[in-house]
Amino acid sequence: MAYILFTLSVLLVMGFVGFSSKPSPIYGGLALIISGVVGCVIVLNCGGVYMGLMMFLVYLGGMMVVFGYTTAMAIEEYPETWGSGLEVLGGLLVGLMMEVMLVLWVLSLDEAVVVVVGFSDTGDWVIFEGEGSGLIRGDSIGAGALYDYGRWLVVVAGWTLFVGVYVVIEIVRGN
Amino acid sequence: RSHLVASLLCLEGMMMSLFIMATLIASNTHFPLVNIMPIILLVFAACETAVGLALLISISNTYGLDYVHNLNLLQC
Repeated sequence: MAYILFTLSVLLVMGFVGFSSKPSPIYGGLALIISGVVGCVIVLNCGGVYMGLMMFLVYLGGMMVVFGYTTAMAIEEYPETWGSGLEVLGGLLVGLMMEVMLVLWVLSLDEAVVVVVGFSDTGDWVIFEGEGSGLIRGDSIGAGALYDYGRWLVVVAGWTLFVGVYVVIEIVRGN
Repeated sequence: RSHLVASLLCLEGMMMSLFIMATLIASNTHFPLVNIMPIILLVFAACETAVGLALLISISNTYGLDYVHNLNLLQC
């Protein structure tokens, strides 16, 4: 499919409208997970394989799971879905209508959405030293440079996570 | 009658869109070192999510539900 990136970005905005129209948190979490999957596929389409994997593991696998059971623990009532109240449905319809109008306007322009077929942005770097020829992916090498040029940043981030866990324990302990 | 966790979900959506934008900039400008930025953004967004959820839990322990109109200690 030629216009895959355009379609995926439209689906991403629709997913964002799904949770920003503020249904009950369970349905908002579901819309965020769907938006996360679509966003990961967008990243994969532009050659960022390692970044997509990071997003799936850390974001969807870690943070959304924590969101899911925290929401299940802190909320007890009758959840309102997108079709139950007028405000949520109105917000959803307004958001979707704005997105449809934007898509129609973009498609009516001449050269805004074109099919770019080029082999210069697939993202592989070919190296020719050593024995034979090798292949490196740009994004995993770039993220690996975090531990080379960004040693101090790794130490600061690790210390921040440790202090964050301590802050969470102190907040939840209360009194 | 809006929940506090809806604002946390919108914050997560903002962090995710920032991550996607930074990754696409890194891939389209062929500048691999910029890939450090989305990874570090994910780390600090995880910290922020954890603290936000801890505050949500303490609010839910105090008031029973996390409705925003429960947070009315300052009344002018």
